[in-house]
Amino acid sequence: MASQLPPKPTPQHSTATAGGMAESGHYRPRGLMRWLLTTNHKEIGTLYLLFSLTMFFIGGIFALVVRAELFQPGLQLVQPEFFNQMTTMHGLIMVFGAIMPAFVGLANWMVPLQIGAPDMALPRLNNFSFWLLPVAFLLLLSTLLMPGGGPNFGWTFYAPLSTTYAPPSTSFFILSLHLAGISSILGAINIIATILNLRAPGMRMMDMPLFVWTWLITAFLLIAVMPVLAGVITMMLMDINFGTSFFNAAGGGDPVLFQHLFWFFGHPEVYIMILPAFGIVSAIIPTFSRKRLFGYASMVYATAAIAILSFMVWAHHMFIVGLPLVAELFFMYTTMLIAVPTGVKVFNWVATMFRGSISFEPPMLFALAFVVQFTVGGFSGLMLAIAPADFQYHDTYFVVAHFHYVLVPGALFAILAGAYYWLPKWTGHYPPLRLSQWHFWLSVIGVNLTFFPMHFSGLAGMPRRIPDYALQFADFNLASSLGGFLFGASQLLFVLVIIKCVRGGEKAPAKAWEGAEDLEWSVPSPAPLHTFETPPTFHPREH
Amino acid sequence: MWQAIKSVLAAFLGVQKDERRREDFRSERPGTFIVAGVIVGLLFVLLVAFVAVMAAR
Amino acid sequence: MRRLLVWMAGGLTLAALNPMALANGWNMPEGVTALSRDIYSLHMIIFWICVVIGVIVFGAMFYSLFRYRHSRGAKAATFHEHTSVEVIWTAIPLLILVAMAVPATATLKTMYDASEADLDVMVTGQQWRWRYDYLGEDVAFTSNLGTPREQISGTSEKGENYLLEVDEPLVLPVGQKVRLLLTSDDVIHSWWVPDLAVKQDAVPGFVNENWVRIDEPGIYRGQCAELCGRDHGFMPVVVEAVEPERFEEWMAQRKEAAQQEAMSADREWGLDELMARGEQTYGAVCAACHQPDGSGSPPAFPALAGNQALLEEPDRHISTVIDGVAGSAMPAFRNTLSPVEIAAVVTYERNAWGNDAGDSVQPSEIAERLAAQGE
Repeated sequence: MASQLPPKPTPQHSTATAGGMAESGHYRPRGLMRWLLTTNHKEIGTLYLLFSLTMFFIGGIFALVVRAELFQPGLQLVQPEFFNQMTTMHGLIMVFGAIMPAFVGLANWMVPLQIGAPDMALPRLNNFSFWLLPVAFLLLLSTLLMPGGGPNFGWTFYAPLSTTYAPPSTSFFILSLHLAGISSILGAINIIATILNLRAPGMRMMDMPLFVWTWLITAFLLIAVMPVLAGVITMMLMDINFGTSFFNAAGGGDPVLFQHLFWFFGHPEVYIMILPAFGIVSAIIPTFSRKRLFGYASMVYATAAIAILSFMVWAHHMFIVGLPLVAELFFMYTTMLIAVPTGVKVFNWVATMFRGSISFEPPMLFALAFVVQFTVGGFSGLMLAIAPADFQYHDTYFVVAHFHYVLVPGALFAILAGAYYWLPKWTGHYPPLRLSQWHFWLSVIGVNLTFFPMHFSGLAGMPRRIPDYALQFADFNLASSLGGFLFGASQLLFVLVIIKCVRGGEKAPAKAWEGAEDLEWSVPSPAPLHTFETPPTFHPREH
Repeated sequence: MWQAIKSVLAAFLGVQKDERRREDFRSERPGTFIVAGVIVGLLFVLLVAFVAVMAAR
Repeated sequence: MRRLLVWMAGGLTLAALNPMALANGWNMPEGVTALSRDIYSLHMIIFWICVVIGVIVFGAMFYSLFRYRHSRGAKAATFHEHTSVEVIWTAIPLLILVAMAVPATATLKTMYDASEADLDVMVTGQQWRWRYDYLGEDVAFTSNLGTPREQISGTSEKGENYLLEVDEPLVLPVGQKVRLLLTSDDVIHSWWVPDLAVKQDAVPGFVNENWVRIDEPGIYRGQCAELCGRDHGFMPVVVEAVEPERFEEWMAQRKEAAQQEAMSADREWGLDELMARGEQTYGAVCAACHQPDGSGSPPAFPALAGNQALLEEPDRHISTVIDGVAGSAMPAFRNTLSPVEIAAVVTYERNAWGNDAGDSVQPSEIAERLAAQGE
């Protein structure tokens, strides 16, 4: 259907005008109503990003409660019940409230600008999918105040701990996850519709920047797996409230079925959180190497392959749950194979830098740190893929180290890199250089001090999700806690950077970075509320 | 179709030439590629499953 | 400055690779079974593969960053693809992984072969303790956290094996193949001892299989690895591996003790006797949820102290302990506790913390009830 549409822009903004929202001189709500009712992709993008930043700090405070309790052996600050709520909420908020909305926010801002579209294809849906999120997360956070406390069964909420043995607030947790899931699906539909239909005349799929490509593939992944999550939490809801026994062995159900369903969602979810990061880094590294991305075609194809493969590896999260031997072997092989296209991307980035002309502006610093640290996370992922060894690694701090390396110095650093890269476009000012560098270096030191020792404590035998630990893990935990507080505190510098950048600073021209090539750099900085009202003519680069 | 399958195989390996990519995207019909992707994906699952069954003996 | 950095990097690398440092709790333990050593060597092989790839990739990257700096006037080249190079750097990792899959497959097959075991032990996870059942031997017991609460709350000095000690360890003979059958009474737990390289989920309603053949006598410590609720962090596993002769002796002693316990159910018990025994059982089994002072943590775990329903209906009190409460976290203790222990704990709960039922429950009464239920 989509392919039959000519690749010309629809005059989307004129429909918006009909709603009385767009052109200057027309009625425009002010104050709170302006943000509540906005259908502008830039404003909604900003809302997403601010929401995500808020959630990042809330989830971060929860993480610091955890790290403070683990500062030394013994129970000092919180009791185990509350500790479990903190680890659970930290995971849920960071995954669904911070990382995912940040990428959606960047997509909202940048996808239309990068493909020369005037706005997202479905602006009202865009508004709706954003405003679902604050509702969802207020509901989720409110469970902490309910009798029996909030969710305390880990962000993976394995049944029957999350059903028969769960606190009474679990039904609210399920509802909030449903809302967040609907928001994701609607956002994904919007992004697909925008990319397929609103590209500038002359821009074919193969000319799209890699960020657009990775988001297109991510959006398909979201549409494929979010309904699975919705299904599994609905089954939980039925088990809790309506006496069904999907996951209750006493009633003939199967607790392991829960894990299969959860990870069938959960593993593609991992790629949902990392593919857009690949896209951002693939924009930044060529810009500051002043050289075209090496192997663009390979990158696009490999991303598509990773997306397909990501549906075939889910049970590597379940190696010790008692799968049959054939299943263990199958999932070990597929998991080892998915490492190859992922590794190839790292090689491509290095080859892009090779014989480039490299400078080290803040976005580049974060992108480089991403490459190194994401690769470290990839290495531990490779080790975890070896099923017999996973019998030792599973559910230890080694796994905690692994996925935090992929998600914090990985995905989060890519988001920060993207923010620094596009802040001049958003605000019209360069981020303050010194402060940005301080932010970068303190973050790098903090994040590695936090997560690197976790490899050691995990290998030495420390299980995850415990509020207290044996004495031999004390030194590693001390280092992790110190690092955690350093990393948390240094993120306040990022807030300072944003405030300063919004208020003023060195003026940025339309093309803020010397080596930047994509369409967003052809509109003025800061980008006016409405861009590309007349579609630009896109000239593919000569090869 | 054969071209599409070759492209999908290249995708699984993660290596593709720019030239081939341009040829792939010249066609306005992604249907062939989706079908080829699903077929190769299924074959891949069957192949790995077969290897796993043989290895488990 | 640069030289200083190089020295620091070199020193850190050496420190990290120093075999002494690796042996001292920085790395996976090599363990005391043939399988654990296989797993350890797989772990080290894949680790070194990662190190080598890392050195090459990061080396190339930092060389490029250093050599092609814009500030040094580097001019960017224009190449942007090279099919043969890309094929090579895809093929090499692929081959390495295939080579890695071969020993991994072999090890996995050994792990899955639990046949021809000399001894079967049923391991049952319960919130938050392990129960061990020597199948066919009539010996069974639960293993609870041995660390006193004062150490956890910090009012007394922490011992050497803080949180890794239990009241009764699982005793296994060395040199014999022991099959472990794992299941759970409530939520999913995971039985893990790093030195034995055994980690297996205990799933309610299902029985998983694993096995171990320990080479050296010794005490091996581990923990529950799967989040199982509040006291997940306080559910250690301790295995004591002994020579087969000593194992036989131990087994004979346990059987005798079990018989005596069964006999003692028939005689009349005094209130003080029951209270003393009940306090002991309550501390090991009930206090985790209902708290040492019986205050519980409502709404999940009701208070027992001052609980009128409990005081007024002794019969329901007993059946709650025996059968549990369906759909809640209260398990059935029918098979976990002996008639003496059930009688003692019920008596204790009715008369402790200001509860003044004044009645006592006799073990013989419980034994009759259990026998009637069994029919």
